[in-house]
Amino acid sequence: MSFNKVKEFIEEGDVIILYLGHNNMHSLEIKAKIPNKNGEMVDNVFQTKYGALKVFSLVGHKYGTKKKLSRGWAYVLQPTPELWTLTVPHRTQIIYSPDISLILHLMDLVPGSIVIETGTGSGSLSHALIRVIRPHGHLFTFDFHEQRVNIAQAEFEKHGLSKFVSSSCKDVCIEGFGKELETKADAIFLDLPHPWLAIDYAVSTLKKSGGKLCSFSPCIEQVQRTCAKLISKGFIELNTYECLQREVHVQYKNLPILNLECLQYENVDKDMAQESENEKQEVKLLTAMHARSLPGHTGFITIATLPPFHVRKMEINLKSKD
Amino acid sequence: MCENEDDIITVGKYVIIKKQNFKKIYKVATNGILTLGRDTVQMHEIIGKTFWTTFEMIPVKKGKRTYFLKEVLETESLNDLLSELPSGNDNRTIVDDGTSQKLSKEEILRLQESGKTGKEIVGSLIENNKSFLDRTEYSQEKYLKKKEQKYLRYITIWKPNISLLHDVYFQLDHNKIGNLRMDSLSQLLSYSDVQSDGLYILYDSGSHGMPAAAMLNRIGANTEGHLINLHPGNVPQLALVNAMNFPREQLDRLINVNIYSFLRLYYQGESAVLDKISKKVHNNCINKIKENESKNDDESLVNNEISQIEETDMKEGNLNNINESNDKVEHSTNGSLKRKRDESDTHEAVKVTVVKKPKWLMETQYAVELVKGSKARGLVIVAKEHPLNIVTALLPFLGFSRPFAIYHAHREPLQETYMMLKQKQNVINLRLLSNFLRSYQVLPDRTHPDILTSDTGGYLLSGYLVQ
Repeated sequence: MSFNKVKEFIEEGDVIILYLGHNNMHSLEIKAKIPNKNGEMVDNVFQTKYGALKVFSLVGHKYGTKKKLSRGWAYVLQPTPELWTLTVPHRTQIIYSPDISLILHLMDLVPGSIVIETGTGSGSLSHALIRVIRPHGHLFTFDFHEQRVNIAQAEFEKHGLSKFVSSSCKDVCIEGFGKELETKADAIFLDLPHPWLAIDYAVSTLKKSGGKLCSFSPCIEQVQRTCAKLISKGFIELNTYECLQREVHVQYKNLPILNLECLQYENVDKDMAQESENEKQEVKLLTAMHARSLPGHTGFITIATLPPFHVRKMEINLKSKD
Repeated sequence: MCENEDDIITVGKYVIIKKQNFKKIYKVATNGILTLGRDTVQMHEIIGKTFWTTFEMIPVKKGKRTYFLKEVLETESLNDLLSELPSGNDNRTIVDDGTSQKLSKEEILRLQESGKTGKEIVGSLIENNKSFLDRTEYSQEKYLKKKEQKYLRYITIWKPNISLLHDVYFQLDHNKIGNLRMDSLSQLLSYSDVQSDGLYILYDSGSHGMPAAAMLNRIGANTEGHLINLHPGNVPQLALVNAMNFPREQLDRLINVNIYSFLRLYYQGESAVLDKISKKVHNNCINKIKENESKNDDESLVNNEISQIEETDMKEGNLNNINESNDKVEHSTNGSLKRKRDESDTHEAVKVTVVKKPKWLMETQYAVELVKGSKARGLVIVAKEHPLNIVTALLPFLGFSRPFAIYHAHREPLQETYMMLKQKQNVINLRLLSNFLRSYQVLPDRTHPDILTSDTGGYLLSGYLVQ
């Protein structure tokens, strides 16, 4: 229940983020017993590199404080959608915070928006969508994979978010979004292998006063087909973006300074070049290093606007861009 | 179609004017005039219409570049000019000798002045262009796009939202919004966890209110969230907050406070703040004379606080209602601010003895009450100054386990902040980030990244506060 409001103390049933280090975070459910591989209930103990943690012992502990482990410390954080994205159990490829942020911005979501997401996947984006649209809005999320739908639903419930989201198992490319959602949505997000197949349904599902459609595709061919379809259905203001986030590592660097000037003059007493070799001159510099490698590509984000019903153009010359 | 009040263009609302690819923000006035490049447009026709309505710009008089607006249902497109025309395969026969267009500049100008429609003009441009038929169809299309920009005179009125307003400002002058590119802005919102409930603190030293507008937008209408917008200057920059047409109720949950007054009131209490004014008012007279003489844009920090106080006091004294004076201040240049301060000189003696609490003090007190009542759920700093002292001063107001995000156009101040915060050991997951964003041209067989991309994304430092 730890996603829906700010909490001071950890309670049973919360999901917490255990922070052990920059790239070492885990989401844990505060329960005394959890099932093991064989389905037997065993004590909930989490092994870290700093020692074992009896997860249930965290109850009553304050969020944002240190927890002593046998060989070190761990911090306990209340989850945010960003932390959840970093710790979510991957059932599919997920969308990460830089792309999620841009998607939310481009879809112009606000508290109260009705938004549709397909597919649900691992629910990484869903948590960020729910954060934006609640308390008055609602997220309808679809996936054609039944197990994923069930797990996501269970997660939403555990996180105390179930009243802001409805998840269902559906192949929207074949069945559409459903009659009851017709002319209801402010925005639709597509993360599908064939997004263009859902666009006909999207037109009738967006509000009569218009709305946004956002599609996330890793391949440019998908983008091309999607854009062609969007234009033919009267969407305007199409834009496709790619956003890459780089993390730079801040560090002090000691740079040796060579004394080469003295070599121009003869020095009878001693060899100054040699001397400076012995007592090296250095400058301490605060600088940043780029990572050796970084995600060079995630996906293309395409955003399009559907105008209100009364100004939509139905027949569109496919050649023009907007 | 159900039309609600929000969809009607009324006097006082901000709207976005779109002409082809050009967008501009406009505040609807009874007899408003809009300048679009060299054109002047009389805007009163848009009042009472719904958003998304398209208007044609029709010259008031032949040959003049003043236009009135007429609502249109159908806009003409230049694309059907192309449909029957043949095109070339490549550009081997095209020589750029400046003689392709047979019409002279004067003749084209005369066409324009004769009141012909954009389509007719472009039609004759094509007819008289001897190389047009040799161009490839792609090139012909590009040519038409360019001419459309120039000769089609349609404008559409859109309702402002954050992505549109950001787009307008970023295209126009990204310096005005502190070079905050949309990816950086959107990540500030994510990494500060801003949402419909809770208290958020923003420090912004001048981005025309872009971060405040974006955060208040995420806090939403009819919700519980509050935003304290700390600023270092005389008055908060709120241009973009105003442009969002937020309802009163939502705007009331945005508390704009001078950061010096806020911290002094929090730590030293009301008497310290009031003492400060009466002591400094005297000194300030001298300072002000100096200031006026030097015409220096950079004011000392002490003066900033005092002048803010005076500025607001002066506003209180004015008979104008607050809205009006806000607008004035917003649009006035530095010069006119000074002029106002001079005017306020004459009221000084009265002000010191005023019994009624000035508005700025009430607002500051409200902000202090809020932070005493609960810790902030998220902290955002968008600074032109060095962020270290600002974040050090504001972190005590943030709750434990809660995130903060700092934006700066330069990397070095964030590096230093990173190191200092790291040494204090009360923040974790510190990350210094920069982004690369590019847009794509997506066309059949002609998809590629746009030729020009912004390279001023700035840097973000994000982290979580712990005990």
